[in-house]
Amino acid sequence: MGRYIVKRVLQFIPVFLGVTLILFLMENVVPGDPIKLIAGEKKLDPQTEINLRIKYHLIESDSNGKPIYDENGNTIETPMWERYVDYVGGLLHGDLGYSYQQNGKPVADILAEKYPYTIKLAVVAIILEAIIGIGAGMISAIKRYSFWDILVTLITSINVSIPAFWLGMLLQLFFGIVLKNATGGAFYLPISGAGGPTAEFDDWVYYILPAVTLSAVSCAYVARIMRSQLLEVLGQDYIRTARAKGLSKHDVIVHHALKNALIPVVTYIGMDFGGMLAGAILTETVFNWPGVGYETYRAITKRDWPIVLGSVTVIVVVVMVINLIVDISYAYLDPRIRYGSPKEQG
Amino acid sequence: MADKLMMGRRTFVKGGLAASALAALAGCGKKSTSSSAASDSTAKGGTFKFYIGNPVAIDPYNAQESEGTQVEHILFDALTDYDWDKEKVVPKAAKSWDVSDDGLTYTFHLVEGAKFHNGDTVDAKSFKRGWERIANPKMATPSDINYHLAPIEGYDEMNSGDATEISGLTCPDDNTFVVKLKYPMADWPYVCAHPALAPVPQAALDDPDSFLVAPIGNGPFQMDGKWVSDQYINVKKFDDYYGTKANLDAINFSIQKDPDTAYREFEAGNLDFCQIPSGRIKEIEGDKGTSEDGYTVTPGKQVLTGAETAIYYLCFNLQKKELQDLNVRKAINLAIDRQKICDTLFEGSRKPADGAIPTILDKDNDNSWEYAKYDADAAKKLVSDNNLGSIELELDYNSGGGHEDIMSIIQDGLEAAGFKVKQSSQEWAAYLSSMSEGSFFMGRLGWIADYPTMDNFIYPNFYTGSDNNYGKYSNTEVDKAIDEARQTEDDDERRAKYREINKKIGEDLPIAPIMFYAHNHVGSDRVQKMYYDPQGKAELGSASITA
Repeated sequence: MGRYIVKRVLQFIPVFLGVTLILFLMENVVPGDPIKLIAGEKKLDPQTEINLRIKYHLIESDSNGKPIYDENGNTIETPMWERYVDYVGGLLHGDLGYSYQQNGKPVADILAEKYPYTIKLAVVAIILEAIIGIGAGMISAIKRYSFWDILVTLITSINVSIPAFWLGMLLQLFFGIVLKNATGGAFYLPISGAGGPTAEFDDWVYYILPAVTLSAVSCAYVARIMRSQLLEVLGQDYIRTARAKGLSKHDVIVHHALKNALIPVVTYIGMDFGGMLAGAILTETVFNWPGVGYETYRAITKRDWPIVLGSVTVIVVVVMVINLIVDISYAYLDPRIRYGSPKEQG
Repeated sequence: MADKLMMGRRTFVKGGLAASALAALAGCGKKSTSSSAASDSTAKGGTFKFYIGNPVAIDPYNAQESEGTQVEHILFDALTDYDWDKEKVVPKAAKSWDVSDDGLTYTFHLVEGAKFHNGDTVDAKSFKRGWERIANPKMATPSDINYHLAPIEGYDEMNSGDATEISGLTCPDDNTFVVKLKYPMADWPYVCAHPALAPVPQAALDDPDSFLVAPIGNGPFQMDGKWVSDQYINVKKFDDYYGTKANLDAINFSIQKDPDTAYREFEAGNLDFCQIPSGRIKEIEGDKGTSEDGYTVTPGKQVLTGAETAIYYLCFNLQKKELQDLNVRKAINLAIDRQKICDTLFEGSRKPADGAIPTILDKDNDNSWEYAKYDADAAKKLVSDNNLGSIELELDYNSGGGHEDIMSIIQDGLEAAGFKVKQSSQEWAAYLSSMSEGSFFMGRLGWIADYPTMDNFIYPNFYTGSDNNYGKYSNTEVDKAIDEARQTEDDDERRAKYREINKKIGEDLPIAPIMFYAHNHVGSDRVQKMYYDPQGKAELGSASITA
């Protein structure tokens, strides 16, 4: 197992270098000059443009911070490879560069501000997803063709077909406005933001609606996968054997069926968690959640490449780590799965 | 469909049950202290909740767009202020000023005894310090609004890193601030009203990182905590303010990403001032009433639709052969149904632009251009008389933001006149590059004034080689007249000169003005009084609210 983990971690390196290199290449191909975009329609004066380019090491400068000119009197662009080497070198020191658009704020600081919100929301959403999805799937499978099974099937069908942002708006209208008016302001939920010192509610209340929205679709998928997997397992010979041995239905499901049915569900939840940690642009926009998804989206539209690179770098690492954890968890769920060299497996 | 509806009800019932449970939970999560302090309903005190987008900067050194200047201008007082009633510049942090005979040296006499929020004295040096931060290339990010200071002697040397101070800024004593310009600029006191040209205390140099998120100013409000990006900025009343003290106890700026979410917060009673989502102005006017002057919110008259100092226009690329023909530019101008754009897309709130200078800047005079009005027949006649029908026009614009709909109405008009028309849209970043490189035909642009002066609509857009002159318009007569007008000290005389210049430009038609922007904002029932000026800055210092 130890060797397997080391091998997987080593695989991170080429993936990581590949992704960042592609992004660096994109920076050169995608139209739009990030420095001109800082000022928008009102143009920067030429000297200020040069100052900004020097600041972000986009053009060559001497030790006094003065631009170096070529024989035609033009400034010299820093070669892409040089900036890439700088970037990777900086990463080793925990330096992710500086934002073009946010007054030169370090990207590490920006991500450190936004990432905790994304992680916390993802954790709450994934817990909701796991509990409700697995629970509903189990009920559906065990009480097959009953009223509950049909109810779960119908609700999940609707859930997967409702776009998350629309569900979010409905929740805002119902819990923030309709309910507030109906109860004369006695009961309602906050509809945007993440709390704070002058906020009306404790911070945890602000997680409710975004987490429900974020997990709604996945919840339905988890329930569906869980139902079909559990039904398949329940039809296996060893389950019949266990029942024939005299084990109760409850014991059979909990000790034999469930673990075996969980592998695809865990795979799905793991992948979904990885996706959530990359941020959820729509949910973050509708609920004004200060997460990393919207930040990355904004950075892409404004060509704030240091933030794009920084967040993608972090997302790549996080997703790879989660995939690793999911793979390792298979060994626990199914003892037949062993990782390592063929010799060790023997 | 029927299934969906049925399940809609079912989920609704389920939702209702969950609602009660969640709301009960949320009840536990409610903080016991109420955020609105005062319990009586007088017009003093209270917390105003104001919607903004995430600002670029609230530190004056880089304050630029409406969100940033909104916050910054209640934290900081610049030397002067613009009075929209009197249509002229009035004293603020400077109680008076003199100008030398050659029009090059301005001497500002500061109000004595003014304090920064940290107790430091506001003196001439604090203005010099604040302005030099804007010009300093060694800031964490050099400011991109340093063009405000470009007319000052010694600015270029500091901006290029050859000097460590601006030689044109001197402080003969604590309360006298002298500005020496490179060339006469009679509008200089108007430039000094820009919120970014504020004084800063020594703390801004000692700890610039903190200053960026919690600036210390000399205005009627001070920061309460720091700016939490994408979440909120809280400010509270500054009791030692030298001017008229604020009515409000505090302001919560709620930073929202999505104007629709912000409006739902407004509907839920959590915001006192908000932008109206598109297409809902009339409906909300019916509900909340329309402001009398278009700029002041009072109870029952809460919707603002006053014109702004901003214009939406098509810029002709005068490097293109087809557009060098004045008849083509005339026909295009005549073929655009501006009223239809304003009525169908903006519920009549925005006003058709009939020239380059918004009416609000020169209310009593007609600055309209002869050809900047819709006349389909005249356009058609021009096209057929001059055989212009073979010309293919290209409408360039950035995608999103509702520009597609505007361009479609323009295209209809141009085609009806007999032109061939195609549209070309690009995403904003790419579009801006095309505009800068001059690879466009007729490009959509917006111009929001930095200063409420006629010059600010003329010089940047039409002077030869000026920054925003994307179409490369050049007329030596106009340039000469602008140079002259900029040196004319007398306000009325200067305005008269700009009217003439505007007329001349109107004869050349380097752009097709489309519309003047207008407010689309609404105040809550709690707002007693609040003025939201044509530049989009709320005068929160004088605003009042019921608790």
